[in-house]
Amino acid sequence: MAQALYRTYRPQGWEEVVGQEHIVRTLRNALQADRIAHAYLFAGPRGTGKTTLARLLAKAVNCLNAEPRARPCNACENCRAVNEGRFMDLIEIDAASNTSVEDVRELRDKINFAPSQGKYKVYIIDEVHMLSTAAFNALLKTLEEPPRHVIFVLATTEIHKIPATVLSRCQRHEFRRLSVAEIVGQLQRIVEKEGWQAEEEALTLIARQAGGSLRDAISLLDQLASSGSPLTLVLAQNILGTATQSSVFELIEAFHQQETARALGIIRRVLDSGADPRAFARQVVDHLRSLLLIQFGNEDQIEATPDMKEQMRRQAQFFPTSRLLQMIKSFNNAAVDTRGSWLPSLNLELAVAEALEAPLAEATSPLPLRHSSGRGAAPAVPPEAQAAPGTPTVAAPEAGTPPPAAAQPPILPLETILRAWPEIRKRLRPQHPSTDGLLNSSRPMEVRGNELILGFKSETVRALMDRPEHLEPAKRAFREVLGIELNLRCVLVNAQGKLPPHIPPDSMVGEALQQGGKLVDQK
Amino acid sequence: MENWNIVGHEWAVELLQKQVAQGSARHAYLFTGPPGVGKRTLALRLAQALSCTSPLMPGVPCGRCRNCRQIEAGNHVDLLIVQSERVGAILKVDAVREARRLLNLKPLQASYRFALFLRFEEANDSAANALLKTLEEAPSHAILLLTANSPEQVLPTIASRCEIIRLRPLPLSLVESFLLDRGIEAEKAQLLAHLSGGCPGYALRLAQDAQALAKRQEHLSELHRLLYASHRERFAYAEEIAKDKETLRELFLLWLSYWRDVFLHSLQADLPLMHVDRRMDVEFLAGQISSASLQSLLRALERAIYRLDVGVNPRLLAESILLLWPHLNP
Repeated sequence: MAQALYRTYRPQGWEEVVGQEHIVRTLRNALQADRIAHAYLFAGPRGTGKTTLARLLAKAVNCLNAEPRARPCNACENCRAVNEGRFMDLIEIDAASNTSVEDVRELRDKINFAPSQGKYKVYIIDEVHMLSTAAFNALLKTLEEPPRHVIFVLATTEIHKIPATVLSRCQRHEFRRLSVAEIVGQLQRIVEKEGWQAEEEALTLIARQAGGSLRDAISLLDQLASSGSPLTLVLAQNILGTATQSSVFELIEAFHQQETARALGIIRRVLDSGADPRAFARQVVDHLRSLLLIQFGNEDQIEATPDMKEQMRRQAQFFPTSRLLQMIKSFNNAAVDTRGSWLPSLNLELAVAEALEAPLAEATSPLPLRHSSGRGAAPAVPPEAQAAPGTPTVAAPEAGTPPPAAAQPPILPLETILRAWPEIRKRLRPQHPSTDGLLNSSRPMEVRGNELILGFKSETVRALMDRPEHLEPAKRAFREVLGIELNLRCVLVNAQGKLPPHIPPDSMVGEALQQGGKLVDQK
Repeated sequence: MENWNIVGHEWAVELLQKQVAQGSARHAYLFTGPPGVGKRTLALRLAQALSCTSPLMPGVPCGRCRNCRQIEAGNHVDLLIVQSERVGAILKVDAVREARRLLNLKPLQASYRFALFLRFEEANDSAANALLKTLEEAPSHAILLLTANSPEQVLPTIASRCEIIRLRPLPLSLVESFLLDRGIEAEKAQLLAHLSGGCPGYALRLAQDAQALAKRQEHLSELHRLLYASHRERFAYAEEIAKDKETLRELFLLWLSYWRDVFLHSLQADLPLMHVDRRMDVEFLAGQISSASLQSLLRALERAIYRLDVGVNPRLLAESILLLWPHLNP
């Protein structure tokens, strides 16, 4: 059995470490100045070099080379022993399988023995976040003042699970994700050493897919290379389950044309050709983000070829920012939702439906972006909606116009209000808690013209709400969030809390129902 | 044994076969894909290919030698199968520790010791973490085979240590011909292929369970009846179905697939339906119910299945779904 590539290419010297220069420099300087700390904590995402650097450190402190600068030399007896995994004083503990306080006690019992081969005993505790609380606490004293010959290196991917008392006793080093360029560079070195053929695009795709983890990238490279043929972009896409960039472009095009069936067809085709649904959702999010960056004028942050950028620039003009945000949100949900594995494509299909519905809601509801409403600024109607003639929002009513006739079409759909409801309530809460409370026991029933009908179950509450000291702040909140003036009308609704949708609350039948009547027959 | 005697997944078989033939097999694999797509079968074939004493050609197991037969039957002495007690249960750390202990022993009969972890997405945090170190640097005679629904459902640190083989649903026609080969009549084979969504194993399970299809018909008729039912009737029904968690889960999944058909149809998507035999009903419902309420129903169903798995009261879930159920007037 061949050794996995990521094990073969585990760096053996400081120079080979990719990316974490800030840590390498600190550690090497400490070695030269002979100022090694007794406890280190290495934290960072997977595959960024924590275990590797821990072993390098262990090797360097025990290296027999006379020149501190040259340690580890990989030539002396101790270095070779570490490389071959037979160095007695490098003790690597898998904290995920030895989680209990007993394991830590055992460690403490042995720690006082002097090293048998080298100068220091190095304890590498990997996956340290899995230790139990008791185990952590049992470790505290030892970690604070270990014997002179002991160095601890704790490594973890989940720093937030480490108690503060442990954090404060260690010298902490944060590993960062590797950039695409750094990963590609390393992959290229490996490809050269192994004597393989590889397209640069394929390596870039691998590097992107790896999400900043070198181990992931090398594993993927390994997998692709094991097919024996040269590494091409097509092969990489096939095995990685990523779709071609062109299908993403096409999907955006379909959104622009409002073609639901076509968008769903694209999704189907992409998945049939072997793409992973979540990976595809991520690709779409990535692309939409690029469009957003273009709109914000941050084009230089996008990694793409010039003619892809050109296409993106064109697509960026298709959508207003608010819609882009909404689409990103929908697809992001599909990308991060781990629940929907029962029908793998469902989340994507729902996201498509949402993305295509968005413009309808937008044409009628000038729901401002969160950041603009946050300052309680003047009604923030997106410029697109204002400019577009013929949309209902154009006729935002001026204050003081007489209440329109009942037959007038609603100024905005009830759904928009329902969606904005939590935001409105949140706006009221700090200054008008009692108004907020009253709204809590009401329900938006219907919008007629510029009048919103609020249903209450009890007459007492309804009458309270009907007073100006509650109505005014509520109206203000509606205006701030929705950007339009709404009149509020409070009505009493029957005990079930709702009227059948076809009965207006202020008609005779509606009134009768609210007084406790029952609908027996309809003609 | 052409293509290792597996339906579809040629690329995966080819990849693994090459690795076995070149002696470059990895120490850890993660097979992913929807249930019944063939993850376990492929993993077992890989174990066979690596242990076969008389391979037909390099990397192709014979299927007849002692090792092959014992692995196929799952009672090979060097093959350890680790899984939770049942679907939806939790894989605990003790099972993983035991597996680690066994993996450290030398193989007795084959050249490798295999540990096959089924449905590894069910492993809880400590179980998954306990496997990390072994997964990264396993003993040279050990091979770990993991299966999961998707790579995202296991810890990223686990997935990053394995070679991931992403199995995808097969074309429906392939599943259909696979069923026909098994002596299933044409009409049933077509329906089962659609219902399985391209997973041959799942289709076969349905075919072998005589009651499954009858049950499905019954459930679908009830689904329609509920559209016209009053709240009281719905709640009575919820109480009935919530008695057994397993059945409820299956019912939720059936609902999910059926409503997805309706949802896609309401968007006029040109996609193959899962419930092909119910095309008329699906079309009718798609005309009656708005796509927005279908969306919220589908989302609620997904949430409900997830919540059922994490232990929320089944009856409560059934009731909340039936409250969202569309109302139609007769």
